[in-house]
Amino acid sequence: MSETTSLPQIPTSLASLRESFAGQSSSTRALLLMAPLIAFELLVFVIPFLILLRISFAEPSSDLIYEPGSWSVEAYAAVIDNILALELLWSVISYSFLLGVVVTIVTVVLALFYAYAIWRSTGLVKTLLLFSVVLPLLTTLVIRTYAFRPLLSPTGTFNELLLSVGLLSEPIQFVPNTVGAVIGQVYIVLPYAILAIYSVLATMDWHVVEAARDLGASRPRSVAEVVVPQAMPGIIVAAVISFAWSVGAYAAPGLLSENITFALHVEELLLTDLRYPTAAALSVIMLVLMLAAISIMFAVLNRFGGDFDLA
Amino acid sequence: MSEITLHELEKQYGETTAVEDVSVEIEDGELLCLLGPSGSGKSTTLRMIAGLETPTSGEISINGDDVTDDPAYERTTSTVFQDWALFPHKTVRENVEFGLKMRGVPADEREQRAESMLERVQMTGYGEDDPTNLSGGQKQRVALARSLAVNPDVLLLDEPLSNLDKRLREDMQIELREIHEDLDETFVHVTHDQDEAFTLADRIGIMDQGQLVQVGDPDEVYENPKNQFIESFLGDTNFVDARVTRTTDDAVYVDTDLGTELVLPTDTEPAVDEGTALTLSLRPEILSIDQPSADGGTAADDASEQQLATDGSSRTAVTGTVENVIYRGSTVRYSADIDGTSMFAERTDATTGTLSAGEQIRLEWNGADVLAFREDGTRVSL
Repeated sequence: MSETTSLPQIPTSLASLRESFAGQSSSTRALLLMAPLIAFELLVFVIPFLILLRISFAEPSSDLIYEPGSWSVEAYAAVIDNILALELLWSVISYSFLLGVVVTIVTVVLALFYAYAIWRSTGLVKTLLLFSVVLPLLTTLVIRTYAFRPLLSPTGTFNELLLSVGLLSEPIQFVPNTVGAVIGQVYIVLPYAILAIYSVLATMDWHVVEAARDLGASRPRSVAEVVVPQAMPGIIVAAVISFAWSVGAYAAPGLLSENITFALHVEELLLTDLRYPTAAALSVIMLVLMLAAISIMFAVLNRFGGDFDLA
Repeated sequence: MSEITLHELEKQYGETTAVEDVSVEIEDGELLCLLGPSGSGKSTTLRMIAGLETPTSGEISINGDDVTDDPAYERTTSTVFQDWALFPHKTVRENVEFGLKMRGVPADEREQRAESMLERVQMTGYGEDDPTNLSGGQKQRVALARSLAVNPDVLLLDEPLSNLDKRLREDMQIELREIHEDLDETFVHVTHDQDEAFTLADRIGIMDQGQLVQVGDPDEVYENPKNQFIESFLGDTNFVDARVTRTTDDAVYVDTDLGTELVLPTDTEPAVDEGTALTLSLRPEILSIDQPSADGGTAADDASEQQLATDGSSRTAVTGTVENVIYRGSTVRYSADIDGTSMFAERTDATTGTLSAGEQIRLEWNGADVLAFREDGTRVSL
């Protein structure tokens, strides 16, 4: 390659490294470039997950968090029995999924409107809209979630406002409540959902929407017929982020709700009950359920348009 | 009946005026080309007719109904966009059917209509294709079929051919012309390409800096331009600075840099005063090219010769040196230095005696064919 020869100033060690890199086939080169990422994923995801998997197959112990070196499916049996008997774990899991579904629907709808607004605005308004998406991310999650408590409490700002304009005759109980948990969780995932959808809208040609209107589509119809199907890859990403994060939500339900989600229950198992195999088995089962749910979501959303391939 | 009336149409974006005081009557079944350089407001005017832009002031009526405030989806117009704007996630047939779907036409009827539209634009068999895989020319045809499928009263074309290569563009111009003749619908076609406008148009409207400067038949705007902008925009010409030296009842005498006084015969009493600065336009096609005759004593002594004939026509000739010769296929273009001023002329028949650089050249024209413009660009009626 001409670039290699035109750079003789490179120290010989670097140059030889460069040459040996350039000499590789393109797939090997891609693999080399991905090596740091693969190493990172191994270290922070694959290895810890294997440890988790191993613990889930350990026997519970009376004086240790689990019996080292033991093999057992007891934890799985206990978790599955509990779920099938519609006891505590059933309600924890179904509440987690309910929260996930509600938060995902609310978030995707809001994000679609907001992303559309950013896309259609220009100049200072666009900058402000984009900036306000990123702004909440500058505060720590716990603080901005906790801030909802005074805002949403029966004597809080929201209720005061709604009472003073006459929309309410008496305060509504938002927190600690599922409504509060949904509001808090939507607030956490919304920026990511907006950015996911906006990144797809930004590549879209506005003339296509104009063409739809020109051919007789009303404003809402043109959005449904042209914008949403084309934005589907972004909508799918937004939905997956919202769903996965909300099913495993910890901070928002912990601070704003009394109901126990899966993540809160795992915390209890680990820190209070010290039942590590049960906590690990529950986590693995949740992971499988989430993967199944997300696969179904992909399949369903793909039917509504977009050229998004699972591969 | 689909006539369009634009009345004092104006569009402003903040401080910028994109379209200013445009009034025109577009007749039923007519193909009007809006021609102008980019930024002249022609696309904005078209988009206001489509309902895609709201005029700042003025009125638009189609068939006598005021549609100024109607949104695009309620108008009986249909637009073919410059980038075609096909729906990328729909098949070719779904694209063509779209307008009918919006009008609630049943599926089988839609499909039939889409097929016949695709046939009209020679795209039969492409119905199930993904429009993003089509070539530019094919996309253009699909866009046209999509717009025609709704049977619009008015078809609006926003430079739909400008993204095609020259050969394809010329084929599509002929095809568009044929479709227009078949359908007998009103077409408004926006273009910056004067050849395209002359090929297609029943009438041409020329726009400059937001204003509709002149509307007329193609030959009329070319031969009888209202101002200097139109003269320079429609084809090549030689502009020569001149100053009026004297006027008579039937002629204006001007002094030029061509080293001679020129006579511009007039029909009426000339509307210019002595001393007025003018710009003369000498189109290459009014200039005839000769080699100066070796024995022409006067031509050799004086660089020019002229006489005002009794019938009012005035032959004028100047001589100079050929600077360069450009072979352009069907024509040969000669640039000549006439007493320090550069002029060019063309010969269509390349076989009759070629002149080469450095040789003497004689350009002759009829003074009645010269157009004159004042400093503000307005035409002097001669």
